[in-house]
Amino acid sequence: MVSKLLKIKEALTIQSFFSVVGMTGFEPATPRPPDVYSNRAELHPELLTYFASRLHVLSLNFARSKIVISCRVNRFIVILFLVFVAATGAFAQKKYTISGYVKDISNGENSIGATVYIKELLKGTTTNAYGFYSITIQEGDYTMVVSYVGYKDIEKKVTLNKNLQFNFEIEEDVITTEEFKVVGEREDKNTQEAVMSTVELEVQKVKSLPAIFGEIDVLKTIQLLPGVQSAGEGNAGFYVRGGGPDQNLILLDGAAIYNASHLFGFFSVFNADAIKDIKLIKGGMPAEYGGRLSSVLDITMNDGNFKEYKVDGGIGLISSRLTVQGPIKKDTASFIISGRRTYIGDLVQPFISDSSKFKGSNYYFYDLNAKFNYILSRKDRLYLSGYFGRDVFTFVNKDDGFSMNTPWGNSTVSLRWNHLFNDKLFLNTSAIYTNYKFEVELGQNDFEFKLYSGIRDWNAKLDFNYLPSILHNVKFGANYIFHKFIPSNATAESGDVEFNTGDIVINYANDMALYLSDDWDINEKLKVHGGLRYSAFQHVGPFKRYNNDEFGNPKDTVVYDKGETVKFYHGLEPRFTMRYAFNDANSVKASFTQNYQYIHLASFASVSLPTDVWVPSTDLVAPQFSTQYAVGYFKNLKENKYETSIEMYYKDMQNQIEYKDGALPKDNAGNNVDNAFTFGRGWSYGAELFFKKRYGKLNGWIGYTLSWTKRNFEELNNGLDFYTRYDRRHDASIVLTWELSKRWSLGATWVYATGNALTLPVSRYFVNGQLVNEYGERNWYRMAPYHRMDLSLTLKGKEEKKFKSSWNFSVYNVYNRQNPYFIYFTSEGNIYEGSLDIMAKQVSLFGIIPSVTWNFSF
Amino acid sequence: MKTIKNIFLVSMVLFLASCEKEIDVEIPLTTEKLVVEGAIEQNQPPFVLLTRSSDYFAPTDINTLKNIFVHDAIVTVSNGTNSVQLQELCTENLPDSLLDEISVLIGISVIDIKTFGFCLYTTLNTSIFGEVGKTYTLSIQAEGHDLSASTTIPAPIAMNYYYYEDQPGFSNYGYLWFNQTDPPEYGNAYRIFTQRKGKDGRFLPADGSVWDDKLLNGLTFNAFIFRGHEPNSTAVEDNNETSEYFLQGDTVFVKFCTIDLPHFEFWETFETAAFNNANPFAAPTTVKTNIQGGGLGVWGGYGASFDTIVLQD
Repeated sequence: MVSKLLKIKEALTIQSFFSVVGMTGFEPATPRPPDVYSNRAELHPELLTYFASRLHVLSLNFARSKIVISCRVNRFIVILFLVFVAATGAFAQKKYTISGYVKDISNGENSIGATVYIKELLKGTTTNAYGFYSITIQEGDYTMVVSYVGYKDIEKKVTLNKNLQFNFEIEEDVITTEEFKVVGEREDKNTQEAVMSTVELEVQKVKSLPAIFGEIDVLKTIQLLPGVQSAGEGNAGFYVRGGGPDQNLILLDGAAIYNASHLFGFFSVFNADAIKDIKLIKGGMPAEYGGRLSSVLDITMNDGNFKEYKVDGGIGLISSRLTVQGPIKKDTASFIISGRRTYIGDLVQPFISDSSKFKGSNYYFYDLNAKFNYILSRKDRLYLSGYFGRDVFTFVNKDDGFSMNTPWGNSTVSLRWNHLFNDKLFLNTSAIYTNYKFEVELGQNDFEFKLYSGIRDWNAKLDFNYLPSILHNVKFGANYIFHKFIPSNATAESGDVEFNTGDIVINYANDMALYLSDDWDINEKLKVHGGLRYSAFQHVGPFKRYNNDEFGNPKDTVVYDKGETVKFYHGLEPRFTMRYAFNDANSVKASFTQNYQYIHLASFASVSLPTDVWVPSTDLVAPQFSTQYAVGYFKNLKENKYETSIEMYYKDMQNQIEYKDGALPKDNAGNNVDNAFTFGRGWSYGAELFFKKRYGKLNGWIGYTLSWTKRNFEELNNGLDFYTRYDRRHDASIVLTWELSKRWSLGATWVYATGNALTLPVSRYFVNGQLVNEYGERNWYRMAPYHRMDLSLTLKGKEEKKFKSSWNFSVYNVYNRQNPYFIYFTSEGNIYEGSLDIMAKQVSLFGIIPSVTWNFSF
Repeated sequence: MKTIKNIFLVSMVLFLASCEKEIDVEIPLTTEKLVVEGAIEQNQPPFVLLTRSSDYFAPTDINTLKNIFVHDAIVTVSNGTNSVQLQELCTENLPDSLLDEISVLIGISVIDIKTFGFCLYTTLNTSIFGEVGKTYTLSIQAEGHDLSASTTIPAPIAMNYYYYEDQPGFSNYGYLWFNQTDPPEYGNAYRIFTQRKGKDGRFLPADGSVWDDKLLNGLTFNAFIFRGHEPNSTAVEDNNETSEYFLQGDTVFVKFCTIDLPHFEFWETFETAAFNNANPFAAPTTVKTNIQGGGLGVWGGYGASFDTIVLQD
């Protein structure tokens, strides 16, 4: 009945992959450019002596070769030589390296992205993700300045005549008066870095903003940035520059989080207490990142306090949090453990009477974050971090004997080893495991139905950071991921009879990448980031391809053996960003990036759900590919008190995936999920305006995005272009925090977004006396615009010696706007009696919601 | 089926105070399409209800609704050897004695037929009455439209047996269970109807009336059905907490039909669409059709087998 065809294809092993691309001989090949700045440096007396001796040798050589050189020519050569030496002084002059770590004095945590610069040269660098910096410059006397937003600057005089190591401990700047920060504020990161479309958020800022039910949510906060579109309530998925929610790479300590939401998307999985740093890259993606088209959200967990034990916690309306951290060995090893659990479902339990048919139904979620880190030596450091989170939803309806149990969630483990080969070469080695799974168990009477889907990754990474001179920041590395996809594994039984839900179709894939990039200060005005990423993806057996008839019934199957290549894709991804600075406070930037994405999320529903399945590129599904162009103008005002920018982008996305019209989730059983896919193209363009006040009693930002996002699929919407559901003509946000006094502070946010595009029925007909909807063009209808204001007020308790506490009062949706969540059409009455009433109804989720949270730490 | 809807409701009620309001939706003008609701069963005459689609918010008074019927269409059914043109019959012009038969044939209650007035296309020419194994082609010319469709009457398959069980927690209420054996090849699909003696005026499709053998191929298994209702029924027993059950002691006639796959796909999507309406987590379901030439609806053949069960534990 089912014919089995065996295809033998050449299996491409990982080893052969690496040998093909020359892994062993992989080194930064960029030739060292002349150090143009050194022509401003004065000639050192020692150097003159050196010149003299060289000249002597030179003239000797001339003499020996018996070439008669006229005086004039001779002088000309000498001048040329002098110019050459001056221009290449770097080669002649001695260079030394200053390197080390920047840490927070209070807890010993690494400071990511702190600026370390040399006052005399007006040049510097920033610390990497592990707080490490390295600067290589000519010998001499310098003043080093370490600066970090919200912290006091540190100045240090150094005499550089050998390689030096300095670890800086920076202290939080409690007095945030404007006068204070202006002094020594030389940080023009916004205008000066060859990085665009990138935002870093401080967790402290995020915590001071209002949040629904007081649940601080970093995913909701990044949606307040221009270019990042929220899907509204009940959807943690976010949309960056017209890309889908699966096009965002969400990393927690380097581990990919495949479903970043709890409760069908109402809350994110990130517990703010466990987070140190949040970085969002929405364009101009550096070569070290890859695998997704639209953005990277790189979240770093706290390392744990190296100095003292500390407990932080919060008690809120729907959940509580507790974090414990401290040194295992002071200044050498530390840990942090942070947990959060919701209890609204439990609180409701006593009020559900025993006779209620829903008794036994419950819902809760919890998160656990843990991290240990150990400084083995000045050159070696180990990190072990993990995340475990689960949503548990139980539904019981005694009336019809129905029960449902659905646990789902992510777990990740990251083991990382930092190693300093020398003062210029830093290596981070990571081994990462990540697992997302969704399970559903349904039972009614004798029927039992189980569904299991998920994705598991084993990931190994080598990331080198090479800082040969102050003008270069070279990064290179390799990445290998083994994916295991379980698209949907269903079992169903009735009594003793097991239904035929088909073989479990598990997909396996090797995902590989090599990259090289350099941040290069060509001169004072021009800085470039150039990078190249080579990525490859191999879908391997065991695999079974079902070839079906038009009704989805199996015709025949193709079987691939274990290790056999089903399909191999690979490609080059160039990444290029340049900055041209008119001066410290003004610059233009442009970027060009190309990305491949080899794994995909396919969603039936219009919101992202835990049931959505991740699928690999296969013999049917080609990798997604995007090309993005962006240009921007950046200007800082009043000593960097204000940052402003305007960016424009155009993004083209090939091989986008949707389900075919009329595909149903049940069709996945005993089938390949991708048999139900159809493919098309997407594109998006727009402009983003950003205005930020960085410090002062009142600070915050205003963002505005004007954009268009469309798709075209041959098999959808009769082949005509259509807007995506989250196409947003206008998207604006205002975010403010205001320190009213030492104890009181106020946070406010306001958002406005064009309504979602929807497919609604345009006409009706009757079959069997029932109303049937006929739908119009895809996404022809626009819901009403979404807008909302939230406020929060924080009262810090009186400072006691050790114990600190604060109250946070927040009001969500202050003016009680009824924002549309979805629209449905309904009818009442009987057509045959002429009493039929047809209505369109709009459902809103959250009206005004006040909440209160008590936070403490000791 | 309702239960799954409840899951979404309860999950929301547990956490959210959701809020609903009626809104005005401006619908773009669309072109009118013809809608076919036609069937043919073995030993029965073919019939076709021919209506038209209308703007979503068009008036719904009786006079307007009467105008949805398409008159004077040329409707022809062919079985490969015979081709017969169906005649238009309007119930207004028929004696009451015939209405019962019409009601059974088209699946609309006599009361509804009387108050509303139906027009249908059918024939008394027995040469085109349904025969098992034959393929029936329908063609319709009306108001500039030219539609066609074809369906087969697959061989009926009898259930092994039916039985009744009280639902745990209820006395005297439960589902109607059956034991079925699916043939060894893929591609079988089924539709089931019930009629409670003395209670229902006709065979009503079960709530969730169709299934195919994608997951069941070649198996012998037990399953149950939810009791179906008259569409838009306001009867108490159709709206209370036992509305999906049968009452112990009732005598139930069962009509169990085999249908072909295009026919199955229509009812499958029709029932999914009805179920998904108002579910925010579901994509809008487009109801499929097996009508060619720009029409909507279904032309379906039924291979029916009949049973009578007295519901006893």
